[in-house]
Amino acid sequence: MAEQTVQFKVFRYKQGERPSYQTYTVRVDPRTTVLRALEQIRQEQDGTLAFRHSCFHASCGTCGMKVNGREVLACVTNVLELSTSEVIVEPLDNAPLITDLVVDMGDFYARYQPAGMPMIRESEFLPDSQVPEGVEHHMRLENCIECGLCLSACPVAGSDPLYLGPAALAAAWRMVEEPRGRDPATVLAWVDHEHGCWRCHAAFECSEVCPSNVDPAGAIMALRRELTRRKIGQLFGKR
Amino acid sequence: MVQERQTYGLIRRKGAWSWLDVRGRRLGAWAFALNRLTGLGLVLYLVIHLLVLSLLAQGESRWNDFIALAKSPAFLFLDVVLFFGLLFHGLNGIRVALVGMGLGVERHKTLFWVLMAIGAVLLLLSAWKVFSSPAT
Amino acid sequence: MATFHVLIIGGGATGAALAHDLALRGLQVTLVERGEVTSGTTGRHHGLLHSGARYAVKDQESARECIEENMILRRIAPESLELNDGLFVAITEEDVAYRDLFLEGCAQCGIPTRELTREEALRLEPNLSPDLKLAVQVPDGTMDAMRIPLRFLATAKHNGAVVKPFTEVVAILKQGNTVTGVRVRDHRTEKEYEIGADIVVNAAGPWSEKVAAMAGVHVPIQPSPGVLLALRGRLCNMVINRLHRSGDGDIIVPQRGLSVVGTSSWVVEDPDNLPVPEDHVQLMYEKGAEMVPMVKQAPFRAAWSAARPLVGERGATTGRELSRTFKCFDHADEGVEGFVTITGGKATTARGMAETTANVVCQKLGVDAPCRTREVVLLPHTAYYVQPD
Repeated sequence: MAEQTVQFKVFRYKQGERPSYQTYTVRVDPRTTVLRALEQIRQEQDGTLAFRHSCFHASCGTCGMKVNGREVLACVTNVLELSTSEVIVEPLDNAPLITDLVVDMGDFYARYQPAGMPMIRESEFLPDSQVPEGVEHHMRLENCIECGLCLSACPVAGSDPLYLGPAALAAAWRMVEEPRGRDPATVLAWVDHEHGCWRCHAAFECSEVCPSNVDPAGAIMALRRELTRRKIGQLFGKR
Repeated sequence: MVQERQTYGLIRRKGAWSWLDVRGRRLGAWAFALNRLTGLGLVLYLVIHLLVLSLLAQGESRWNDFIALAKSPAFLFLDVVLFFGLLFHGLNGIRVALVGMGLGVERHKTLFWVLMAIGAVLLLLSAWKVFSSPAT
Repeated sequence: MATFHVLIIGGGATGAALAHDLALRGLQVTLVERGEVTSGTTGRHHGLLHSGARYAVKDQESARECIEENMILRRIAPESLELNDGLFVAITEEDVAYRDLFLEGCAQCGIPTRELTREEALRLEPNLSPDLKLAVQVPDGTMDAMRIPLRFLATAKHNGAVVKPFTEVVAILKQGNTVTGVRVRDHRTEKEYEIGADIVVNAAGPWSEKVAAMAGVHVPIQPSPGVLLALRGRLCNMVINRLHRSGDGDIIVPQRGLSVVGTSSWVVEDPDNLPVPEDHVQLMYEKGAEMVPMVKQAPFRAAWSAARPLVGERGATTGRELSRTFKCFDHADEGVEGFVTITGGKATTARGMAETTANVVCQKLGVDAPCRTREVVLLPHTAYYVQPD
């Protein structure tokens, strides 16, 4: 395949040192992704470069990072399609930084309600197909791969570290929409405060960067619609 | 409700700068950033306006000096900038209020452009009004 | 009473399951992984929860392991599995001729099957090729390739195990002929330090031979990569397999809103630097479309390679000749004490591999503790990042 050279300017940070940027030259072909380029750098040029990855196909959410200033999953970001001679790679925002491009996801996960997060749902694909014998209904893993891109892109999360954030709020909406045995009222109570769903100010960046069709912005507004509906209902009769 | 969290690692906080950092961002974030800017601008304007009004208490001649300044083309231009701020913040504010109650969420970009079109027309009309008023 | 300390090299499914097993048996466990956990082969696989049917004819040991572990995973890791069963589809007359051998093999291995007519199968999966002749339903499923190992690690951490990602082993320490620990480089600080242990377990997958060489022993591992192709859109809810002897491009695994077509097979020396041959990618499209024609139009998501850790001496040509079973090596047999390697196997059988290895480790240490991993339900994967109260 036709190869080209591209410059990669990568954010570097080792604990105890000051952050910096380091430039590498990488050979890429039309199929090369940012993740494979980073692997090439680590294997051939700089064995100290640390980054997270796992599935290579946007299903695990591990390789989230900022490429040319925008949140993406590195494993499905084609280098030549970026159309820049220099590719800038930086870690996600709004997450504590461990080293280089590795962020601490503990902070991201701590926003979810400790007990219960919807992981699996009924599959909405191929709705007219029959279910095989022995299977109750088609099931599939949820869209959200917990990549943290939404939290990084959210301008409100930047100024409010206590904000629950798009991913956690989207998960809350999924629990209200399809309760799966939990009481929606408790979930709504969990998000109904100044650092919950009311903190959002409609920047919509979360849904723009989500690689997995979660639409957290829609979910947050749905939560607010539901809460508004309930509060108005309470005012007018549902005592 | 909000868990106490122990974070570890280098905290790189952008703070309020994250509102205005639109690098790599799309329409919704631009509207958000501009809403914040115009909001701050309008607050600033309010303060200035009150200060200006206090000139009334300093006598007719101080007030007349100010009015003369207020008729200069540069000042009239600033008036148009003010109208832009009011229109943008007000119209986008309608969008934010609607969307924030869960209405029109899927069409928020269309809603934005429709409201901005209305705003553009109103801005042009007001600019024309401002610059074509007979000077006394 | 002092507790023995076991150090595990490798944070993939095998290492994770082993950390869980040993922690449950009351041992002190430290796991080191050079990158993010599951960043080796484990995270990359298509996520098939094997029924074992694929091996029921040619590799019955592996088939039996698969169906047993399949049933256990359903019990210990609910909510991380898409349990829609799978189909083995016959497209050509040759496939149809394979059916009897296939059904017999499954019966011998204890894999439940249900034969379906063409019409019945098309009602279940309307996107199947119109050339479909018949299908056999088996208890295949989809597992979350990364999150299930995370659940093992979460439970292990909860029981006291220490997990250290971005910690690369640079040397294995010995005193005479006994392994006493490892020297590691912490990539968060680029500082090196030593970790002592009573037993070191090599669970490094296709990198097992490189690690074993650090201890001066030999492990017959043949890294065998294959190409996988992910397409946007869930073209089928059930796993679709081709009813024939194992070959290239004969499986489509649905995963969330994606469909993963796999796989191919060749052998390499070095499990790092895996290429993604373009002709293999095209082969996935071709072969996948033979079963589900919509594969050709589905939007591209990703193409990547993953290296299977196959147990067997070098000299294999494609890797498909080697068994998919696993093997535990106690290197005392080669004169090196305190060092054990577990390798081979598949993600579905990781728990079983860990049980065997933990038994070997406990026997070497003189620890009498039974395996409990068949029953203990794993903590959710979120607990890996945030320990529950």
